[in-house]
Amino acid sequence: MVLKSFRSILIVMLVCFLSVGFACAAQKAAWKIGVAVSLTGVFGKDGSLVKDAYTLWQETVNSHGGINGAPVELIFYDDKSDPATTAKLTEQLIVSDKVDLLLGGFGSSQLFAASPVAEKYQYPLISGGASSNKLFERGFKYYFSTLGKATEEVRGCVDIFSEVTPKPKTAAIIGADILFTSLACDGFKKYCQKNGIEVIHFELFPMALQDYNSLLMKVKNKKPDVLLVGSHLLVAMKTIKAMKEIDFSPKAVAFSYGPTVPKFVEDLKGDANYVIAASEWTPNMPYSGKVFGKASDFNQLYIKRFNRRPDYVEAAAAGGAVAQQEVLEELGLKPPLSKENRIKIMEALHKDKFETFYGKIQFGADGANEAHPPVAVQIQSEKLENVFPLEYAEAKILYPFKPWKER
Amino acid sequence: MYTVFAQTIINGLLLGGVYAAYSAGFSLIFGVMGVVNLAHGELIMLGAFTSYWLFAYFNLDPYLSAPFAMVFLFLFGYVVQKYIINRVIGQPHIMSYILTFGLHLMIANIAIKMWTQDFRSITTSYSGANAAIWGLNIPLARLVTFMVALLVTWVLWFFLMRTETGRAIRATAQDKEVARLMGVDIRNIYAITFGLGAAITGLSGSVMSPFVIISPEMGLEYTIIAFCVVVLGGMGYMPGALVGGLVLGVAQSLAATYLNAGVSVAITFIILFIMLVICPKGILGKGSVA
Repeated sequence: MVLKSFRSILIVMLVCFLSVGFACAAQKAAWKIGVAVSLTGVFGKDGSLVKDAYTLWQETVNSHGGINGAPVELIFYDDKSDPATTAKLTEQLIVSDKVDLLLGGFGSSQLFAASPVAEKYQYPLISGGASSNKLFERGFKYYFSTLGKATEEVRGCVDIFSEVTPKPKTAAIIGADILFTSLACDGFKKYCQKNGIEVIHFELFPMALQDYNSLLMKVKNKKPDVLLVGSHLLVAMKTIKAMKEIDFSPKAVAFSYGPTVPKFVEDLKGDANYVIAASEWTPNMPYSGKVFGKASDFNQLYIKRFNRRPDYVEAAAAGGAVAQQEVLEELGLKPPLSKENRIKIMEALHKDKFETFYGKIQFGADGANEAHPPVAVQIQSEKLENVFPLEYAEAKILYPFKPWKER
Repeated sequence: MYTVFAQTIINGLLLGGVYAAYSAGFSLIFGVMGVVNLAHGELIMLGAFTSYWLFAYFNLDPYLSAPFAMVFLFLFGYVVQKYIINRVIGQPHIMSYILTFGLHLMIANIAIKMWTQDFRSITTSYSGANAAIWGLNIPLARLVTFMVALLVTWVLWFFLMRTETGRAIRATAQDKEVARLMGVDIRNIYAITFGLGAAITGLSGSVMSPFVIISPEMGLEYTIIAFCVVVLGGMGYMPGALVGGLVLGVAQSLAATYLNAGVSVAITFIILFIMLVICPKGILGKGSVA
């Protein structure tokens, strides 16, 4: 009797061990991809968009049998919008979680901290949410960005003024004093000079600024034709609120980032109209690729999954994941990846050209995407419309900005 | 030139009114209990969210939802004080710092889980409305908040001076042992005070909701400003929050106009440092120094 019970226990234990063994084997067969991204803190909203993009990519890939037969497993860690934490979590993903690959989170400051860690461990790191020029000036081989450089990303927002009448003569540039937004301000300045627009005010301010009214009142008193703002979502929303409160209506207002995030229009409603924003992608662009099909297909898939349109940063993030996927397929790799394999992936990312729903992706020697034209969008009747470049424009730019008192 | 200066002062006074509105509760709680409430900003956030959700689901105007925010925050504050903060009253100050900092993290993170980290904004038909008088711009929502700050300070002053509960609160603040001997239920008074502080803070969050960006993590920056305002006006001295708020608002506005916006943020901490070193009892010299 005792012997029989003992045998039963042994059988149960054996079954348990085998199950655990199979489970481990099954886990090992998946692509473990780690992402340190801001899910809380000042970039929490922006970072959660990037998370959505990767999640959709993962679901799409897995529903088609994974990459080279292996499903994708994503590990997300919240860096709380703190660059030091991003670096720490990136190392944790590599050393403790032993991920096969990485994908980038959101924010230049965050990626600026994460990329040296990826470089040290020789992990390719593709981001779709960071574009500061300084990211590409360090001679890194493993950092890639599907966005163009920050200073170039805002070009469309200034070039579009050469298409309007009367052409603006003066501009005021303000922006948050952090890596991406300050470089966006430099980009605004550079293209204002190229377009013959005189910059009559240039000021950076800390993210902690609570009182936008005083700052914008000072700008208003200088009567610039256009206001250009180096911004993230929060800065963009605060700026619009303050502009209306102090009744500041220049001929145009453009932001480096923020208005393309759906929440901007949802909550600001009609106050968001006439706002121009930099972008790198809209669903009407004539792009297509293997994983998601056309740009418009990606848009539809996004609406079905998240009940909203994707922001261009989400498209850029998913585009980066697709590029990495295409390299894995081209090289016929399977998890787990060795260091040598990751070196091959890095080399292929530098060499290959990718045709995707996000457009052409071609990484230069510095890791920046060299194949992407900047786009400008404008909110018209509470809807984002592509207004520049003209060959892809969905609508004609509304100019000048309708004064607050007349709305 | 004259217009720019006058506009700067108006901006500063209106900004100061906003600061005073949300700092009064901080001052009251510190003055009576000696608790530096590091979860103060979360009370503002909860007040703003009360208005936001009532606006989003019932289209209720933020000013009409303000009483709901007050009642909700009073109950919230009363319960938090009675069952949580009362446990550290009388213990070293560091205990209340740790506890309220923990509360700050807990409330903010629960709010993120419930409402996501989205930035939200209330846009009403009168959002951004402003009046132009003699070429000067006056944003009306801020003017209302300024008036609320004045009203709150006056009502609170009246309540503390003229009512039975107010006298009990003042007696407890002056000497809790003697107050206890006189039959004051100290624990209940503490809970009422915290509830009252939370209610007026919730009110400020509610009246600010038409012109601020609301998010679960907005609290900390407000706590920092409230601390500076209260040190400036005198810790625990009720009208001090109004004076401190106005002085800080005008100083920041002048710095933003004549220097730059970065200095306007830095000046807050420069003033805080100077006050703590030179005049820890506040501008009026009536604050308490532990």
